[in-house]
Amino acid sequence: MAQSFLEVKNLRKEFGGLTATNDVTFSMGRREIIGLIGPNGAGKTTLLRLISGILKPTSGSIKFKGKNITGAKTWNIVNMGIASTFQNMRPFRRLPIVANVMVPCLSPRAMKRGEWVKKVEAKAMDALEFAGISDMALEKASTLSQGDLKRLEVARAVATDPELLILDEPFGGLSPAETELMAKSVARLHKGGRFGRLHSEGPAMIIIEHKLQQLMKIVDRIIVLNFGTILADGPPDVVVKDPKVIEAYLGDGGTTCS
Amino acid sequence: MRMVVAYIRRVFKILRAEVLVLPSRVAVLVFIAAVLALPLVTQDYYILRIMILTSIFAILAASWDLLSGFTGQMNFGHALFFGVAAYVTALLNLRLGLPPYFSIPLGAMGAVLAGLIIGIPCLRLKGSYLALTTLAFPIILMGLVFAFPGITGGELGLSGLKKLTGSRVADYYVTNVLMLVLGGIMWKITDSNTGIILHAIREDEVAARAAGINTTRYKLLAFCLSGFFAGIAGGLYAHFMRLAGPSTLEVGLSFQVIIWSVFGGMVSIYGPIAGVFILNPFMEVLRIFLDNFPSLPEMRMFIFAALVLLTLRFMPEGLIPWLRDKVESECPRCKVRNVFFRRSCRICNAEMT
Ligand SMILES: Nc1ncnc2c1ncn2[C@@H]1O[C@H](COP(=O)(O)OP(=O)(O)OP(=O)(O)O)[C@@H](O)[C@H]1O
Ligand SMILES: [Mg+2]
Repeated sequence: MAQSFLEVKNLRKEFGGLTATNDVTFSMGRREIIGLIGPNGAGKTTLLRLISGILKPTSGSIKFKGKNITGAKTWNIVNMGIASTFQNMRPFRRLPIVANVMVPCLSPRAMKRGEWVKKVEAKAMDALEFAGISDMALEKASTLSQGDLKRLEVARAVATDPELLILDEPFGGLSPAETELMAKSVARLHKGGRFGRLHSEGPAMIIIEHKLQQLMKIVDRIIVLNFGTILADGPPDVVVKDPKVIEAYLGDGGTTCS
Repeated sequence: MRMVVAYIRRVFKILRAEVLVLPSRVAVLVFIAAVLALPLVTQDYYILRIMILTSIFAILAASWDLLSGFTGQMNFGHALFFGVAAYVTALLNLRLGLPPYFSIPLGAMGAVLAGLIIGIPCLRLKGSYLALTTLAFPIILMGLVFAFPGITGGELGLSGLKKLTGSRVADYYVTNVLMLVLGGIMWKITDSNTGIILHAIREDEVAARAAGINTTRYKLLAFCLSGFFAGIAGGLYAHFMRLAGPSTLEVGLSFQVIIWSVFGGMVSIYGPIAGVFILNPFMEVLRIFLDNFPSLPEMRMFIFAALVLLTLRFMPEGLIPWLRDKVESECPRCKVRNVFFRRSCRICNAEMT
């Protein structure tokens, strides 16, 4: 990667005696869309949380657009342009869906980016529209199904108009048809353009997923994580044929088949 | 003249379209009218005194709700703001001769400052740690009060402050109108975009951060606003009682604030205000009633506790939200509130179920 959009160097996170990510190093470009895969407990979510600032690394560094963001505050990282979703959805349960998305719309980044949209509510509605749950805008978040909560996560992340979007299992809990739809919207967002009043330059993406078939269709690079270390990194068709990868997955009980 | 008539017409139109459609709004209107009209009905010295104290405590309870109800940071030492403001107000009035309209706001700022010095280290604390720490601070401060009797007046407190106003009726209007205005301001804050962020922080602080919100800043904002309003209550109290004593810092007062709020209904601002306006006069009536039976000294607190516990047993959300749910229902389509007997929604015409 010539330009250093995101540079992760020797990133290490230990929980007590457990090493969740073990000196992970990779970099990505502004226009890339990467699939991050690996068996359960491989350290994918941990890697996401380190980049988004929710966790502080034991050692190593993260650079975003040339700036060192290692250990920076989560909200500063978001306002610099890295948005992420939670694997185990964390909605504001007692608030309506639209208010859930108004929160990121009220972040400094979102306020500056969409100045021409006067009403925060209108901005939030556009993000909901993108995620396909605008018809449920007034329902309380606690009433949503798992799949709709996933979409709410995506809507909240998209609402800050990120330059790098990290999705943690965006297809989890979705039916095959819904997965198809979500995959399409994600691919469309990556290309950029207008979504309602939301104008996106198309964020770079890291997508964590277990549903490999659907993932392969939209990503152009795959990183495989196993026991906290990068096992393989390359184009999808090369990576799936890598014997090390096949072994890691078969050893785990064959999660690939989903 | 024609302009006046047109203006009155408009007020009536708004009244009919916006206020009379919902029981809760009518209740607010009646409450405001009743508060403003009370001195026209009675000027009884004792009744006005009770209602003045009630309005002061209502400001205090609402300010607690703004912090603890909305951001979810349980403050078990809200008397800290009240007491510090009372003392600072008293000192400013007694030592520098500042009149109430200066000493009270400055006293409130003093309370915020003291709160910040003590509170900033607490921002990282959560749950029971935060509760215990907040509980301790007014007690520590009370120790300081007794340690420096030369400044604080020790056990007796500082007395002889200038009267709030010249007459009891004027006192009544100053405190009660302030209660209505400050209550309105607090409600407006919680009803704004800032309010949504405070809700979000209470629901899930990590998720709020991941949405790009500087949660520390908003928590601090809620803390300062809450402290300021509580401080105004403390200053009013000092000038009205003409005394700032250790009782303003008591643990009992901090708990009283929580009981009023939880009883009336947290996370609403109006709930705690209603809670104080119901419980505080009730306690006074109970006192008068029980004075006829001097052999039962502890009954008052017992009845009070039993009443509050029973209420919460059957109305876990508090009294006012419970009542509100009885007389209003939400439109299944547009989520606007309607009177319970309506068949169709007043906004979107959807059928009410
Ligand atoms: N907060 C934590 N404290 C202690 N251990 C943790 C913590 N978070 C994660 N771990 C451990 O770190 C390892 C990596 O977890 P992580 O959630 O990153 O895996 P993952 O690749 O996202 O798995 P999955 O596919 O199941 O989501 C696991 O063994 C997990 O138990
Ligand atoms: Mg995970």
